[in-house]
Amino acid sequence: MRVLTAVIAIAAGSLILGGYFLPALADVQTLLLNWAIILAGVAVLVGISNLISVHTDKISRREKGSAYSALLVIGLVATLSFGMILRPHHSTMKIVMNGIIIPAEASLMGVLTISLLYAAIRLLRRRADLMGIIFLSTAALLLFGSATMPLGDIPLIGTLLRPWVTQILALGGARGILIGVALGTLTTGLRVLFGADRPYGGN
Amino acid sequence: MSDMIKCPSCAENNLPDQEFCQYCQTRLQPLTDPLDGADAPIKPGQAPTKKNTAELEPILPQWLRDARDSARKDDQQATQQNLQQPSQLKPASSAKDLLAGLQSQAGDDEEDDMPDWLASITGVNSKPIKSQTESFAVRWVELGGKDDFAKDESDGSSSDLAGLKSSEPQPDENNEVRDWFRNLGNPEQAQQPEQSDSTDSDLPDWLRVTGSQNEKSKSADSADHSESGVGEPPAGIISEEAESPSDSPKPNQDKSFEWLKSTVPATSSREEIPDWLSNDAAVPPAFTAAEDESAELKDAQSNGISDRLETVALQSPSSLTAVEDEPSGGISDRLKAVEFQSPIHTESEEKTIEPAQDADTLGWLDTFQAVSAYQPENSLAQVDFTPLDFAEDFQASDNMDGLFTDIPDGLLSTLEAPPSSLPTADTNSEAIAPDDQPSWVESMRPVDSDISELSSNFPADQTVESSGVLAGLSGVLPSGLGFAQMSRPKAYSTKLQVSDEQLAQAALLEQILAAETAPVPIASFSVLRTSRSLRWFLAFIVFVMITIPLFMRTQMFSLPVGVPMDVNGALQVAQAIPESAPVLVAFDYEPARVGEMEAAAAPMFDQMILLRHPHLTFISTNETGAILVERFISGPLAVHNYQSGIQYLNLGYLPGGQMGIRAFAQNPVVTSPFDMSLSSAWDSIPLEGISSLSQFAALIVVTDDAEAARTWIEQTESARGAIPFVVISSAQAAPMIQPYYESQQISGLVSGLYGGALFEQYNAGRPGSARAYWDAYSLGMLLAMALVLVGGLWNLALGLRERVAAGETQ
Amino acid sequence: MVFSSDLVTGLLSFLFTILIFSYLIGDNPLFRIAVYIFVGVSSGYLAALTWWQVIVPRLIYPLVYGSVLEKAFTAIPLLGAVLILMKISPRLAGLARIAMAFLVGAGAAVIIAGALSGTLLPQIAATINAFDLSAASARNISVVEVVFNGAFILAGTVFTLIYFHFGASPKADGSIRRLRLIEISASVGRIFIGITLGTIFAGVYAAALTALIERISALINFIGNY
Repeated sequence: MRVLTAVIAIAAGSLILGGYFLPALADVQTLLLNWAIILAGVAVLVGISNLISVHTDKISRREKGSAYSALLVIGLVATLSFGMILRPHHSTMKIVMNGIIIPAEASLMGVLTISLLYAAIRLLRRRADLMGIIFLSTAALLLFGSATMPLGDIPLIGTLLRPWVTQILALGGARGILIGVALGTLTTGLRVLFGADRPYGGN
Repeated sequence: MSDMIKCPSCAENNLPDQEFCQYCQTRLQPLTDPLDGADAPIKPGQAPTKKNTAELEPILPQWLRDARDSARKDDQQATQQNLQQPSQLKPASSAKDLLAGLQSQAGDDEEDDMPDWLASITGVNSKPIKSQTESFAVRWVELGGKDDFAKDESDGSSSDLAGLKSSEPQPDENNEVRDWFRNLGNPEQAQQPEQSDSTDSDLPDWLRVTGSQNEKSKSADSADHSESGVGEPPAGIISEEAESPSDSPKPNQDKSFEWLKSTVPATSSREEIPDWLSNDAAVPPAFTAAEDESAELKDAQSNGISDRLETVALQSPSSLTAVEDEPSGGISDRLKAVEFQSPIHTESEEKTIEPAQDADTLGWLDTFQAVSAYQPENSLAQVDFTPLDFAEDFQASDNMDGLFTDIPDGLLSTLEAPPSSLPTADTNSEAIAPDDQPSWVESMRPVDSDISELSSNFPADQTVESSGVLAGLSGVLPSGLGFAQMSRPKAYSTKLQVSDEQLAQAALLEQILAAETAPVPIASFSVLRTSRSLRWFLAFIVFVMITIPLFMRTQMFSLPVGVPMDVNGALQVAQAIPESAPVLVAFDYEPARVGEMEAAAAPMFDQMILLRHPHLTFISTNETGAILVERFISGPLAVHNYQSGIQYLNLGYLPGGQMGIRAFAQNPVVTSPFDMSLSSAWDSIPLEGISSLSQFAALIVVTDDAEAARTWIEQTESARGAIPFVVISSAQAAPMIQPYYESQQISGLVSGLYGGALFEQYNAGRPGSARAYWDAYSLGMLLAMALVLVGGLWNLALGLRERVAAGETQ
Repeated sequence: MVFSSDLVTGLLSFLFTILIFSYLIGDNPLFRIAVYIFVGVSSGYLAALTWWQVIVPRLIYPLVYGSVLEKAFTAIPLLGAVLILMKISPRLAGLARIAMAFLVGAGAAVIIAGALSGTLLPQIAATINAFDLSAASARNISVVEVVFNGAFILAGTVFTLIYFHFGASPKADGSIRRLRLIEISASVGRIFIGITLGTIFAGVYAAALTALIERISALINFIGNY
């Protein structure tokens, strides 16, 4: 099994990688990637089934918070049922989306506003080093520069300093992070293709 | 303080009347009391008085007395054997050997306490004695005292003194020198007198290393001796050179006797005395004890000397040449194979020998014999016979030199003695009669002036020689501090002797081990308690500051001006696309940011639709993206009344993340064949004539995730061709997308409400979400800036105060 | 009483918004109820969407309506789907490794090519081209500004990358440290990273604030409308 999984991973990766550079392998790449799309969708279903099983177990064991789990399972089954029957683009599903999903997520994001502000205020109490001071100073500068006054932009900060910080100073750091991420991604991918890393369980 | 006695062991000052050092309990006073008349100096030529030292035996240690008893028995047996074989054992010249008195010591001491060379001298199978060096050897031994080596049972010095146990040469296989001496003891081989002190038992360890090499050289020497008595150089040359030893060495002559020729012009300066004997690391502990305390022992020379001594053990002794004129490094080469010589002999030879060549002289002994045999007295008299180096430590002056500058007559006579003249083994009870003393021994006895000088230098030195030729003499041999230091064996306590540095390292190790075993509290931050009141305060003030402008629908704050280049790029794309051109739009944001993304994206789509009426094709890699598209079309863009399948098409959800995007970029028709309602997508009006990504007029990615934007940029890099690529992002993703605009991988970037507000101003005055939110947004940003600054500084001060307080507490 | 979809949507939206905002007072059951329902509904919607957007058009349609070749090609991902579904059963979960290996291999190849051609090479080239005077003149940027800004961008990029260099060697005192030059460069890189993270923080706060504004606006609108 170990050899088989490694061979499959390396072969699939090699063929797909070859499709980037060899036109002859472009169709093979498309075929394999479409297979991967299907498998990824199935994997989503597996994840959801696992979520259902976990919470049904909690309900069956009557653990603490099992009532919440019951709400979760009920909401899931109901939405899934409506979705399977009515399809996702049905108006009923739009109500679910606009009445539950979007408000809930947006509200959580709104609560995050207070949490971020609270954390920023108390950051220097815990960590009063150069990194923290630079971090908060930059954040305060950009918060100030992103707003406007009733008479227009905030002079100098909003018109000159903020663009320079976001497009020059922050750009350098962001580019360094991106290149570092790319290098790490490259290394990780190559390790998988060479069989050094087998996150699929091949040890 | 001048009367204080300095302890030879610990160098601490003690009161003169103290017998033992109050610090280390080392004996300070002589072990024996002075004998009657010992204080009287002996005049030259005066016969020594026989002294009965048996009365002193009770104060000897038990082990020494036992050793003496056993030695007496052995000596008696040996004497009887000698009497039975007088022709072989009894020396012709004198019945009493120079070191006859030491026999008692030999008999008394343990086996290891007597060097082999000494045993050879006094034993039955003793070898011919070599000239002046042996006298120094004798003196050296006596200076060491009776118990000098008593405690060195386990170190190298014990083996050095092994020969003291018996007068018979020990058939020790490791002691090659004694074999060599036995060969010399053979009349056939030892045709000439040989230095009796050239045994390795008298040598420190470094010379006893010669064992292996000695085996080789010994056979060669024996062969040479048996044939001509001359080693490598021809015998005639040797004799010739020996007859004129004062001549300067001839360059082309054999090296083996060049050093012999150089003996005559040797200087007598005390400084030229090589101190390698006492300074070498391999010197037995008895000597190192003294040397450790004399820091002035030429370290620079010792290094070279050490090398020299190492090579000595490997080479033939013929290379023993004058060393004082050579750098120590050169000396080392020259002293190879001194294995047959005692340190004393080597010392004397080094002092007397001019620079010579490297040792290659297997017949060094022959040459030495030749020189010794024909050594004129006057030439030898020029030799600087200095005390051993260990005396230099405490004898800064050269007073002692005068004691040894004169070559005793007996020494020459000893050299001239036939090999068969072996010394008679004497015991302590058979002390040497004064009239039996050789004349040269008498001449060695200290002169008044010398003794007085010594006495002045060392007032406490009144040691009475209890045995030997100097028996009964008091203070003859300086047994002052230096000698005591030198001769006294180093005290080896059972305690581990470690240096300060080692102690420090051991303490450090203990600390490390203790730290490993000791429980260490895990350093953790003190829990910063959540301030619920602060949280409520922040929530309240933010809600109030946001709700008021939203509720009042104020538009006090002006929209931002000055379009940045990235927004300007998006604006140009929106205005430059062809009429009714197909535009691919990727909707990849979470429902949480629907307000921001709609406010950011709506102005551009509004303007684009208003100006160009593009055919929009939506696709989403986010699960909720497809439904958000419908919300977007029916919400902010509702005024345009776009119809699905006609002006726009929703391809729905594209799973697989990067793989899905890559597959879609590579072949969108195969990857997304259906729209949201599972109808054939690529036959619809919006996608008419489109089969690849590059056929779209523009690609717009609306995302709140920098990762999603990066994926679209990366995976469509080769497929999208030169079509404009605009990213409408959340404000949180903009910093990580900005580099892609800087690298011109994307054509424009609209980020957040700020970008939407910028873009909205170019929509011909059409109101949008950005304008509706802007006052609340500006107030919220200003409020946040103020709270972060004030609150941050306040908490910074609090934190510093807490840290200072915590530091003071600790 | 007829409930319009907008009313139901607005009511649900108002309700869930209030329930979530109740968290500002503190963790409470109402907040948990809203969150659990939200997770359940989202999962159900995702499952339905996956079924209708992935399984049906890409797996079932080809098998039912496709040609023989399409059916043959679809049989393989179908087998893979079955194998992945084996993960539901703990006893057969090992069989899913085959499909997972295929997914991991395909993903590795995609991210390699994407990172190399989409980020690594273009960003390096852009760092170099930051000093391109001709491109700057085309954008009406002065030479001084190009050099000045390019230097900052280059320094930020290099020092940030150096900051992520964690190679170190043991010192004489036993400690493991980076080279002195690396340490200094990493300290400068830390400043650039601090600025970048501060910028991101401001962006996150702006996004969150916009979301809060949208929610409060929705509440106001709902109250105003009904």
